[in-house]
Amino acid sequence: MAQSQLARSEQINGWAFVAPALILLGLFMIYPILWSLWMSLQTGRGMVMSFGGFTNVMRLTQDPVFLRALTNTLTFLAIQVPIMLILALLFANALNDSKLWGRSWFRTAIFLPCVTSLVAYSVVFRSMFGQEGIINDMLMNLGLIGSPIPWLADPFWAKVVIVASITWRWTGYNMIFYLAAMQNIDRSIYEAARIDGVPAWARFWYLTVPMLKPVILFTTVISTIGTLQLFDEPNLITLGGPSDSTLTLSLYIYNLSFKFMPSFGYAATVSYVIVVLVGILSVIQFFLARDRRA
Amino acid sequence: MSRTTSRWTRALAVTMTGISLFTVAAASAGEITVWAWDPNFNGATMNKAAEIYKADHPDTTVTVVDFAKADLEQKLQAQLASGTTDGLPDIVLIEDYGAQKYLQSFPGAFEPLTDKIDYSNFAPYKVELATLNGQTYSVPFDSGVTGLFYRSDVLEEAGYTAADLADITWDRLIEIGTDVKEKTGKVLLPFDPNDAGIIRIMMQSAGSWYFNADGSVNIADNAVFKEALSTYQDLVASGITKPVAGWTEYTGSFTSGDTVATPTGVWMVGTIKANADQSGMWGIAPLPKLDGVEGATHASNLGGSSWYVLSSAPNKEEAIDFLATIWGSDADFYQEILVNQGAVGSLMAAREGAAYSESDDFFGGEPVWQNFSDWLGQIPAVNYGIFTNEADAAVIAQIPALTSGGNVDEIAAAIDAQVRQQVQ
Repeated sequence: MAQSQLARSEQINGWAFVAPALILLGLFMIYPILWSLWMSLQTGRGMVMSFGGFTNVMRLTQDPVFLRALTNTLTFLAIQVPIMLILALLFANALNDSKLWGRSWFRTAIFLPCVTSLVAYSVVFRSMFGQEGIINDMLMNLGLIGSPIPWLADPFWAKVVIVASITWRWTGYNMIFYLAAMQNIDRSIYEAARIDGVPAWARFWYLTVPMLKPVILFTTVISTIGTLQLFDEPNLITLGGPSDSTLTLSLYIYNLSFKFMPSFGYAATVSYVIVVLVGILSVIQFFLARDRRA
Repeated sequence: MSRTTSRWTRALAVTMTGISLFTVAAASAGEITVWAWDPNFNGATMNKAAEIYKADHPDTTVTVVDFAKADLEQKLQAQLASGTTDGLPDIVLIEDYGAQKYLQSFPGAFEPLTDKIDYSNFAPYKVELATLNGQTYSVPFDSGVTGLFYRSDVLEEAGYTAADLADITWDRLIEIGTDVKEKTGKVLLPFDPNDAGIIRIMMQSAGSWYFNADGSVNIADNAVFKEALSTYQDLVASGITKPVAGWTEYTGSFTSGDTVATPTGVWMVGTIKANADQSGMWGIAPLPKLDGVEGATHASNLGGSSWYVLSSAPNKEEAIDFLATIWGSDADFYQEILVNQGAVGSLMAAREGAAYSESDDFFGGEPVWQNFSDWLGQIPAVNYGIFTNEADAAVIAQIPALTSGGNVDEIAAAIDAQVRQQVQ
């Protein structure tokens, strides 16, 4: 009897302790998610909305802008994420060498971009890649190009600028994960390999990379999610242009809600496309990186 | 003991600060907040209006908050959509293309001014733009009447005078541009591939738009629109244009002398005149005409905007009184902003003032205001509808296809398909 009373009071106390967190979670996370799901089934202009069922999903399939935004987003994903992760891995490997001079200085320098103000760096990138910007000046002076490249006015080059800027901003962030993981690898493994005469590249490829596998998987998933939600750079540097060439799904959602005739229901539908994509891609990545020993 | 005292003093200090803050808040009841873009133009005219109003209403202060136009529109739309009125201004500037969109998608957000302003004094097309279900919501402001702004000194160097630019077609402009480039090495026009402004200018100059009068899509079979597209294509193909990215590069290209002309709205006068060292080197010609299009004129419109009062505004009554007194009836005020900012307002009475007949030495002594005023009267009326932003985005998406020499009919069909998809 006393036992069960204690158990009950423990249970009540337990729930009382987690209740505030649960209520907040429900209010600010679960409710908005459910509400946006409900909203994605509605059509209408501005605040005047009505139930439309799957009209929005049908609209998706015939929307050329959506298809462009989707293609751009996936292009960024396919090009930028591998470049960034390989760079981060190489940097981490180089900076992990205890004999390297000025190691901590380089680490800070490479990490710094991801803590700089987004707006400030976008403005700087915009001016650097301007028609008369420092990048064109430099390339011209080096004799690499004959006439200035219209970085922000040409669909192809605008994509290049976006890829360059996200890479600049996030490489250091991923590098830190790799560095931390590398420092957990036992030095004696490398020593043994060195004594056996394994060359440096093979030590990197056959020892470091496999041992970093869980971290590589983690950074790949994180970067994939980040790139699928890419908004800041296209919005601040290229405005999605020229000609929708850097329009991403997030930017399209923003345009649908805040630039065009407000169409919140349809915008919610597009945002669920991102949710589905994140789900599918994460599952694929986990599947590819699964442990085959078992 | 001393500790208790100090605690009491602190509490007292806090209370006093609270009270004084409260009084400050009460005293600032006469503060009207305005959101606007372009401090050289809209901001400057609003400040001038406030200065005049202040003479009779010393307690009123008008604060103009300056944003980039796109930022202002998106901030306004985001706040209206969220339903949070805190932080919204009393008065907001809205570009005419977007007026109906705001009025129709946010019912009740703007204050009807129908019986507060005498609309018979204003150009009817401006009043029409801001009228929904019999209520008018704006105080009409500037017109975006267009002209071709050019560097007369550079064109003179290539052997052209003002007379050579009067009543020409776009094809003739291409010939002139090619010749100027050969003789002076300078490119004629800057083009932003992310801005469909020039196509809108061409379209309206022949009385056509993306939409019919009843709001239905008018693109794939719109002969005027297709002529505008192919003219754009010719302009780019002829090599007399230079690509620019964004507003700053665009205005920078002709104020620095890198390019020598641009067809744009009269409101560009302020930006051009800000470079005092170029006085006398500029001229303004009528807009070139579309070739072989029935009803084509030399007059068109780009932009133009009006003031709106928000229903949620804390100082609504004062804001309305301010707008009605100065913007709604003070013809002298319009004379002043015309001369200083190049603002061609839409208050009809202002057009009879002396400032309109004066010549401007900056533009080679031409009676530029009289000219703009004449062109203003000839602008063909069109219905902007509520989806101009969407249509613009569709045109911009096809500009690379256009500049790489694509088939105009196919491009128009693609734009048509995208717009039809977006306007549901």
